[in-house]
Amino acid sequence: MTKGQPTSEPLHKPPTGQLALLPGLAILLVLPLLAGGSDYVLQVFTHALLLATLALAWNILAVSGSISLGHAAFFGVGAYTSGLLSLELGVSSWATIPMAGLSAVAVAVLMWLFCHRLRGAYFALATLAFVEIPRVLTDNWDGLTRGSRGLVGLPGLPGFPLGAHHFDLGASPTGSYYFVLGYGLLLLALVTLIFRSNLGLALQAIREEETAADALGIQVQRYRLLALLLSALFSGITGGCYAHLVRYIEPGMVYGLHFSAIPLIFAICGGRFTIIGPALAALVLYPLDQFLFHPLLPAGHEFLYGVVIILTILFLPSGLWGQLRKGHLVSIKTGSIE
Amino acid sequence: MWTTVLVSGITLGSFYTLVALGFALIFGVTHTFNLAYGELLVLAGYVAYWLWKTYGISLLLTFPAAIIVTLAVCLILQRLFSRLREPMEMNSLVVSFGLAILLQNGMLFFFSGDYRMIRVPLLNQGFRFHGLYLSYGQFTLLALSLLVIALTYLLMRHTYLGKGLRATIQDKESAALAGINVSGMGILAFAIGAVLIGLAGPLFGCIHYLYPTAGLQATLIAITITIFAGVGRIRSLILGGWILGFAESSAVVLLGASWRELMSALMLITLLALRPHGILGREEK
Amino acid sequence: MSLLRLEALSKKFGEHWALKEIDFGLEEGEIVGLVGPNGAGKTTLFNLITGRHKPSSGKIWFESKDITFCRPHEIQRFGISRTFQSSRPFAKMSVLENVVVGRIFSGEFHLFPRPTDIKTALQLLELVGLAHKEGAIAGELTLSEQRRLDLARALATEPRLLLLDEVVAGFSPLAVKQAADLVQRVRERGVTLFIVDHFLRLSLRVSDRLLALDHGEKIAEGKPQEVMRNREVIRAYLGVRLDDEEQSA
Repeated sequence: MTKGQPTSEPLHKPPTGQLALLPGLAILLVLPLLAGGSDYVLQVFTHALLLATLALAWNILAVSGSISLGHAAFFGVGAYTSGLLSLELGVSSWATIPMAGLSAVAVAVLMWLFCHRLRGAYFALATLAFVEIPRVLTDNWDGLTRGSRGLVGLPGLPGFPLGAHHFDLGASPTGSYYFVLGYGLLLLALVTLIFRSNLGLALQAIREEETAADALGIQVQRYRLLALLLSALFSGITGGCYAHLVRYIEPGMVYGLHFSAIPLIFAICGGRFTIIGPALAALVLYPLDQFLFHPLLPAGHEFLYGVVIILTILFLPSGLWGQLRKGHLVSIKTGSIE
Repeated sequence: MWTTVLVSGITLGSFYTLVALGFALIFGVTHTFNLAYGELLVLAGYVAYWLWKTYGISLLLTFPAAIIVTLAVCLILQRLFSRLREPMEMNSLVVSFGLAILLQNGMLFFFSGDYRMIRVPLLNQGFRFHGLYLSYGQFTLLALSLLVIALTYLLMRHTYLGKGLRATIQDKESAALAGINVSGMGILAFAIGAVLIGLAGPLFGCIHYLYPTAGLQATLIAITITIFAGVGRIRSLILGGWILGFAESSAVVLLGASWRELMSALMLITLLALRPHGILGREEK
Repeated sequence: MSLLRLEALSKKFGEHWALKEIDFGLEEGEIVGLVGPNGAGKTTLFNLITGRHKPSSGKIWFESKDITFCRPHEIQRFGISRTFQSSRPFAKMSVLENVVVGRIFSGEFHLFPRPTDIKTALQLLELVGLAHKEGAIAGELTLSEQRRLDLARALATEPRLLLLDEVVAGFSPLAVKQAADLVQRVRERGVTLFIVDHFLRLSLRVSDRLLALDHGEKIAEGKPQEVMRNREVIRAYLGVRLDDEEQSA
């Protein structure tokens, strides 16, 4: 058996399995043309892409072994930060979205103070309870947040000047779509980098065997905190994008179980041990729900998600993409392994 | 004013204990979390509401129907859980999470998102007792909750099955070695849990609005009280229920009704922060 | 001066003394076997040295540094590594990745694994005989392979002192012999070894000295032949008292 030159997977080259997804990427890039002028189709996929980013962000925390049932806390805080900054202070969307991320990080720090000693199911339960804090605060602090009335008339996604023109991306479904697609691809690249780096290896080691990781010199709590902060950061950014995309938010919605359940379901059903699995699940399941089940069952069509997660845990615990990629999930390869 | 809080706290708290009782039993025996427990409560309430509203059936007769429904769902859940691999706690959490979503959407489909409530005018009237004012509704809630809790206590202490359950809760392996059918105990725990929540559901529908997402609060309450009490003692569950009931009632008086829901969440987070190894208190080996 | 010195080391769990006043010195380059019946306190001793538990009293010195209350990742920085009684591979990661993880966190911080990290990891896999399985998923290895992976991973941290906890548990006699050869090769690389071995199959082959514990107390120390003839040691393992006449066989 010949051994090739040992290197870690070169970062500029996508892994072989993901090459199979290139046709999908091509479709996504030209979707507005394929949609044949249907705003609705574009909007569904824009939404799917946004949920894909939320699922990717959720998975950063899951890689470290912590399953969160309350990611809506970060999403919602991000949405409200963006909303309030733009409504009350007239801040441009370019600025509100990163600020949304930072506010979510602040919330994550608070969560860490309470939850850093928790593992497994108890951590999950703590996150389930934790989301109630920003939700009730936002709902009741009328003076600051306008309470349960929500925020209406939020400005759209940011635009940018190019020469003499100003491309207002938020002004059209197509523009919004490309904005979210751009964010999604950027986040995917970042998550890939994280997975492939020493940070990613540390998080996976912590997830697998925390005691052994500790004994090998990994500062477990530092890495777990970092995973939480990164996960919160991008969840918050997604929340900010959401606020500018749908232009109306209210506490029950953005802090609701929907945005806590969805990233978990997409990540686990797609494959939480893979990089792209969460995004793939979002891009398949959400349109399926919207195009097929929603018309059939205007009320209750989301039962699909409940069914899917139950089936996944029982029969396909590594997720669909995880199952397909079994045995190929390693970050470090030498020439002798494909 | 504080007497109102006290009365309200104990009444509500006793009901909360009733809600938590089944959850704690299932967890103690099978080491699984049932995140859909709150949804079961709401479902039972909806069943009672539907029968009462559509067919004019008296409230008392709706209890058996509600119990039958919760029994069916709980036994399905038990079957699902029995197929799970380790880690049981985490996997049961996620599967029951999925079931909760299923149930929520089911209820949304069948009953729509409108707020419903079983209106029994008699319950709003009340009486004075040594200077305390109690509505009939509160009294019924308190009496029924304590009655059912007491019956469960007697079941656990003085029946053969109850002893089997307690043995399994204490140590599954030893119980198995002593000849107890541990998996049978698991099924029994789910069944009793179903009956308890089936009893609580119609009561719930009288005192609280029914809507598809109302279950989450109930689940949080059940989890909070269970973790407070640790494993084993019904007395601790009652104490935990009363503390939560009192905290919520105080919050309503001091801050306003909409802050009530935060209490169980705060209590749970604080409990977990203080007791990171959870209910069973095992050190990581 | 001893590489590792234990000074009146004691550990109490609740009311129960797991270790009582252990005094012992480990010299550099030695292989020392830690022996004794079940519950003697062997793994507890390892846990104290590696910082998983804090001693109730006493001190631990490593190269004249007081490491009594250090945490596991600090202990690792000083140059002490260990394997665990039940094998703990990073199950979903590959064999190669497991060892690389051992490599990348024991030195300075880097963002990505370097080619030298991977090369060293491959060399260690050669040493333990797992090079042909570098791409295999760690969770799918056999028990013997997992233990060898544990060893390679611990060696990747380039320790001065390596604690092996029941590394040959469940091994066939042939596998034990191979493990003994492997341990010798590890010693030749300059690693001092402290081996817990309940069944003595490995310790008696490779150890320069033995330390025998029973019920948390040191009952014997010295060359393997002497320790194994010690009446207390025999009694501890067999649970019977032997007269002098019966003992000399």
